[in-house]
Amino acid sequence: MDAMNHSVAAIEVQNLTVGYGSTVLMQNLDFTVNSGEIFVILGGSGCGKSSLLKNLFGLYQPLAGDVLIEGQNITRAQGADRQRIMTSFGVMYQQGALFGSMNLLDNVTLFMQEYTQLTDDQMNLLARCKLDLVGLLPYESYMPSEISGGMQKRAAIARAMALDPKILFLDEPSAGLDPITSADLDSTIQDLSRNLGITFVIVSHELASIYAIADKVIMLDKNSKGIIAEGDPKVLRDTSKDPRVHQFFNRIMSKDTA
Amino acid sequence: MTLSTDTQTITSIAKWVSVGSATATVVIAGKVDVYSLANVWTQIRSAQDQWLKSSGSHSLTCDASNISSLDGSGIAFLIDLEEAQKKSGGTFSIVGLDTRYQPLLKEFDPISNLFPVPVVSPKRGLVVSTGMAVQNLIDDAKGLITFTGHLSADLLWSVRNVKQVRWGDFVNAAVQAGIAALPIVGLVSFLIGVILSFQAAIGMKQFGAVSFVGPIAALGIVREMGPLVTAILLAGRSSAAFAAEIGTMTVNSEVDALVSGGLSPIRFLVVPRVLAGILVMPVLTLYADIVSIFASMITMLAYDIPLINFWNGMLQIVTIEDIGSGLIKATLFGVVISAVGCLRGMQTGTGAAAVGISATRAVVSSIVLIVLVDGVFAYISYKTGF
Repeated sequence: MDAMNHSVAAIEVQNLTVGYGSTVLMQNLDFTVNSGEIFVILGGSGCGKSSLLKNLFGLYQPLAGDVLIEGQNITRAQGADRQRIMTSFGVMYQQGALFGSMNLLDNVTLFMQEYTQLTDDQMNLLARCKLDLVGLLPYESYMPSEISGGMQKRAAIARAMALDPKILFLDEPSAGLDPITSADLDSTIQDLSRNLGITFVIVSHELASIYAIADKVIMLDKNSKGIIAEGDPKVLRDTSKDPRVHQFFNRIMSKDTA
Repeated sequence: MTLSTDTQTITSIAKWVSVGSATATVVIAGKVDVYSLANVWTQIRSAQDQWLKSSGSHSLTCDASNISSLDGSGIAFLIDLEEAQKKSGGTFSIVGLDTRYQPLLKEFDPISNLFPVPVVSPKRGLVVSTGMAVQNLIDDAKGLITFTGHLSADLLWSVRNVKQVRWGDFVNAAVQAGIAALPIVGLVSFLIGVILSFQAAIGMKQFGAVSFVGPIAALGIVREMGPLVTAILLAGRSSAAFAAEIGTMTVNSEVDALVSGGLSPIRFLVVPRVLAGILVMPVLTLYADIVSIFASMITMLAYDIPLINFWNGMLQIVTIEDIGSGLIKATLFGVVISAVGCLRGMQTGTGAAAVGISATRAVVSSIVLIVLVDGVFAYISYKTGF
């Protein structure tokens, strides 16, 4: 993995404030995601994890602060620069967000058709490889509405990988998957990270999956509007003194701690 | 190397080297990704195909020792080369590939799965497609009849259980379909009034009968044009809106949630909207009649027909029954438009595209049914003199 490390961090977040209008969800966030790292964002429901993610990949404009993707400022970039940064990463949305009028293969090849000069056969082979990685090869000609929710999520991961981006943002990839599929997905994520040096930024609640794959986690808190813990999840579980962190990692109900 | 070596430098990242007809080497170097592979992939593959055409055994070696970085598309490229070798009975080997890429290459075993045999879907004959079209038509008619039955039962229920009807939804639907439609209905009715009387006046002037234009136009407006124009506008606005709204609810399983909670979606979703249609259509039609007749009056002023003459002439020809007949017809249109919109919404399939299809079907079916109802009504009026 060391060979893959670049001199610049994959993502650098500087003084970021996330929110909508006058509602501030997160304030003054500062963190760095290293290249090739599996970085997990944790936090209770509704604390702004998905919003933070959408700020990181430039879908929403942050209220303040900057996000640098491989050294380039996505919050300030305009036009062609912005588009170039946008193609350097892939995104899997929480609900899959597959294009309903296209089958799975076409969903994956869509971005290739726009950005590459490959032939149809080559694009189809590439797309099949992506679908194979998420275990959906036999379903390439299915429409999104014909497959289950978990399968839609996996297809969305395949689509996010279409252009072989160096960074993948995944919003709750394993929620709603059975344990076996979820473990398969974890191992695929690890392979891609270790072997191709892909950086993952993942929003997740699945503790088992977090322990298995995360190199580093940050934990957000709704009330303090910031990061309350940062580091290796197993270390945090065993050593954190913060009751909120302890509660989260040990699955303790909220009424148990005052 | 004693054999003649034919070297084609294709680009910086890949090179095809044929050593005689039995062995060849592909040298891949540098950064291999989906962009750098753009034309290289095709060129290397066509060089390979050319070489494979010659007789004898073919052994291809891929020299990957100088690859600085390889991504998923690079691996797909290697797989494509290997599959072409396998298909023609040749062999393929990779040398010097960094060990970290090996697990990813193994992920795709057996690679033949990545090259499915294209399935040709059997062609449907004329008889089969006609049969299926008829079947669809019958199914649709069945759906319509069942829905009409359920709706009639639930409308009767609403008469007996007035308090349980969802009046909030009714008011929302009535405001959206009625009050919000006033500007567009006014605009189109005004135009119809002007055009109808203007066109008639041009012809009638030749016979010196301009004074009859007003009353005839007014009769046409209250009996036909008013209800019909309003109905078509409402079909375009509200029928589509009902279909899209209920369709989205169907896609989001909200309708399923009603059913599993023991509530009738027809009673819950359709009845308030149909009641709104029943209220709104005659009111809008009356408004359209007034605007149209007013427009006609203004137009006839240009032909020197004073307002009072228009008014008196109209009162002689247009009876209260004519207006009533138009409004009853409008009420029927209201039922048809709102019910069909809801029906199409509930028949929505899955996915975003299905909602669009439902909205389109709602408008088309509404207009077809409006024409049908209008025809039946015209026949009854003709026979009964109403």
